[in-house]
Amino acid sequence: MVQKVLEVEELKVGIKDEDGGKIAIVNGINFHLHKGETLGIVGESGCGKSMTSLSLMGLLPAGVERHGGDIRLGNLNFNSFNKKDWRQIRGKKIAMIFQEPMSSLNPVYTVGAQINEMILNHERVSKKEARNRALEMLKLVGIPRPEQVLNEYPHQLSGGMRQRVMIAIALSCNPEVLIADEPTTALDVTIQAQILELMKKIQDQLHMSIVLITHDLGVVAEMCDRVIVMYAGEIVEESLVVDLFDQPSHPYTKGLLASLPDIQEQKEYLSSISGVVPAPGKMPVGCRFAPRCSFAHERCKEVPPLFEMENGSRVKCWLYEDGETEVAAK
Amino acid sequence: MKERENVLLKVDNLKKYFPIKGGVFGNKTMKQVKAVDGVSFEVMEGETFGIVGESGCGKSTAGRTILRLLEPTEGSIYFQGKNIAELNPNEMRRLRKDIQIVFQDPFASLNPRMKVRDIIEEPLINFGVSDRREREKRVLEVADQVGLTAAQLSRFPHEFSGGQRQRIGIARALISKPKLIIADEPVSALDVSIQSQVLNLMRDLQKEFGLTYIFISHDLSVVKHFCDRIGVMYLGKMVEIADKNSLYDEPLHPYAEALLSALPSPHPLQMKNRIILKGDVPSPSNPPSGCTFHPRCSSCMDICKTERPSLQVIRDNHAVSCHLYDSPEKLAVAAGELK
Repeated sequence: MVQKVLEVEELKVGIKDEDGGKIAIVNGINFHLHKGETLGIVGESGCGKSMTSLSLMGLLPAGVERHGGDIRLGNLNFNSFNKKDWRQIRGKKIAMIFQEPMSSLNPVYTVGAQINEMILNHERVSKKEARNRALEMLKLVGIPRPEQVLNEYPHQLSGGMRQRVMIAIALSCNPEVLIADEPTTALDVTIQAQILELMKKIQDQLHMSIVLITHDLGVVAEMCDRVIVMYAGEIVEESLVVDLFDQPSHPYTKGLLASLPDIQEQKEYLSSISGVVPAPGKMPVGCRFAPRCSFAHERCKEVPPLFEMENGSRVKCWLYEDGETEVAAK
Repeated sequence: MKERENVLLKVDNLKKYFPIKGGVFGNKTMKQVKAVDGVSFEVMEGETFGIVGESGCGKSTAGRTILRLLEPTEGSIYFQGKNIAELNPNEMRRLRKDIQIVFQDPFASLNPRMKVRDIIEEPLINFGVSDRREREKRVLEVADQVGLTAAQLSRFPHEFSGGQRQRIGIARALISKPKLIIADEPVSALDVSIQSQVLNLMRDLQKEFGLTYIFISHDLSVVKHFCDRIGVMYLGKMVEIADKNSLYDEPLHPYAEALLSALPSPHPLQMKNRIILKGDVPSPSNPPSGCTFHPRCSSCMDICKTERPSLQVIRDNHAVSCHLYDSPEKLAVAAGELK
C-alpha cells in the first residue's frame, strides 16, 4: 500500500453572503495524495481549485473561510492549528509556488535574503550556513551565475528565472508536499517547458509529492500521475492520467477535452460546451453541470454521488449508476 | 490553398522603435527598443494569417502599427494597393472602417460606463451614419450575428462573462463591415470551453462575410487550428513564414522547431523529443548581433554571430530567415523533401 501523505476529507470553503448565510465555493471535496506522486487538479476559472490549494496552506483570503472538513498531513490535523502552528508547517512540511512569480516575491529584498528567511525561520543554522544552502538551492533550480543572483532583486530577473527562485524558496526546507498553483501559466511555452522539466527532475531527486493546479490539460498530460477534475466547487471526476485522456467519463471532462484544438488533427470547428460556469450562490439544484450537459435527464435533479468505475476512476454522474459500484459516502 | 493574386495587405519592412529617454532633462534618446524590426509579409483576401511568438517578440506591436494605433518608424503598409503609412489622420480614420481590431482583454477594452448598445453603435457614429434608425437596425443585426440578445444590449459590460464580452468586442469590430480584422490574442483570456465558442463564432463570421483575419496569438495549438498561413516572430523579426501544415510538419528555423517541440503533449503516453532552449529571450533594447537567435541556437555557426540572415523562400509558401539554409546543398535537402 502506497503511503498517503496528504488527505482531504469533506473540505468546504465558502464566503458569507449579505444575510449572514454561507455561499459554498468548494463544496465538500475528498482526495488524497500519495508519496512521490503528482496529483493534478484541473478546472476552469471559478471552479474552486485555487481556493482548495490555499486552504491546504491556511492562506485563504479575508472573507473566505473553511466551513468544515479535515485536512491531514501525515499525523497532523490542520483543524486544530493556530497561527503559530501554521507558520511552523508552511515551508517546512508543505510549500507552495504561485502563478505570478513577480507579485509573489518581495521586490525590496534580494533573492538571497528571501531564501535565507525561509531557512532561518525553520532551521537552526547560522547565517553563513543558510547562505550556502541558498546558493545550493539556486544551483539546484538551474540558475546561471547563482552567486550574483543571490544579491540581485526580483525585478532584475526574467519571468522564468523568478519562477525558478520561487521554486528554490519553496524547496529550501525540503517539504514533503509542494503545491504548485498554475506555476507556468504566466510563462511562455519555451520557458514553461524548462520549468516543467525542472519540477520533474527535482521531484525525482527529493521524492516530493506535488499537487499541481492548472487549467491546462497539456500540462496535466505532461506532469501528473492522477487527476482530479473540478467543476463549480465539486470533484466531478478522479482518475489516472492515462484513463482521463483515453476514456474520459464525465460529460464535462469529455467536453473539456473535445474543446481543445488538436495539433495533429484538423477540424473546421471545435466542439464546445454551451453556456457558462454558474456563479457561486446561484448553483443549479442537483447535478451542477446539468444545465450545460447534453446528456441531462430527469435523474440529474438529484445530486449524483461519486460512482466507481471498473478502471478505478470515480465519476460524479448518474450516467454511470448502472452496473458500477457506488463509492461509500466515506 | 489560397490564390496568390488577391493580396489584401502587404507589409514591407515595417519598423517600430520606441525611444528610451534619458539624460539630465529626460529628453535625450539613449537607446531604442526595436519592438518591430523590419517585418514583411502579405495577407491574402479571405485567409487567416497567424502571427505567433513569445511575449516581447513584437507581435502585438506589429498588429497595432498596421492599424496605425502606433505610428510606424519606417516601412510601408499597403492595404488594397494604398500605402496606409502615408495617409493623413482624416484619411486614416475613414480607412479604419475597413480594418478593425479585437483586443485581448475583454475586461479592459470595453468602457465600463457605456451600455453594450452604445459600445457597439459608436463606430457607426464615428463613420458618419447619421440616421439613428439605421444605426439601431445595424446594432440589432450585428448583435444577433455574434449571439447577443436584444435584451442584453441595455446592460453594462460588467454584467457579462469573459466570453460574452469578447462577443461584444467582436460585434463592435464587425459593425463597420470591415474587410480585415486584426485579432490580438482574442481568446487567451478565456477558458478552454469558452475559447472554442469564440473561435467557432469567428470562423462562422469569416465564412459569412468573407473576412480576412490577422490572428495574433502565443498559443500554438489555437493558431494551428485557426490559421491558414503563419508567421513566427522572434525579437521583432519574422523568422519563418509558411503554410500551417508545412510549418507544423517541418519547421525549418531552429527557433520555430524548439517552439513547436515545447508544446505540452496532448496525451500522457505520447512523450516527444523536446528541444529545451537555453536562457531567456534577450531584451529588444539590446538585441544580440547578427542573427538575434544565435545565443540560444543549438546549430549556431560563426556567420550567425555577425551577419543578419534575410528571409528567403525555401519551398512553396515557406520562407525562413536562417543561415543554415544559405548553402545550396542544405537548401536542396530542405526543398527536396517536400517535392
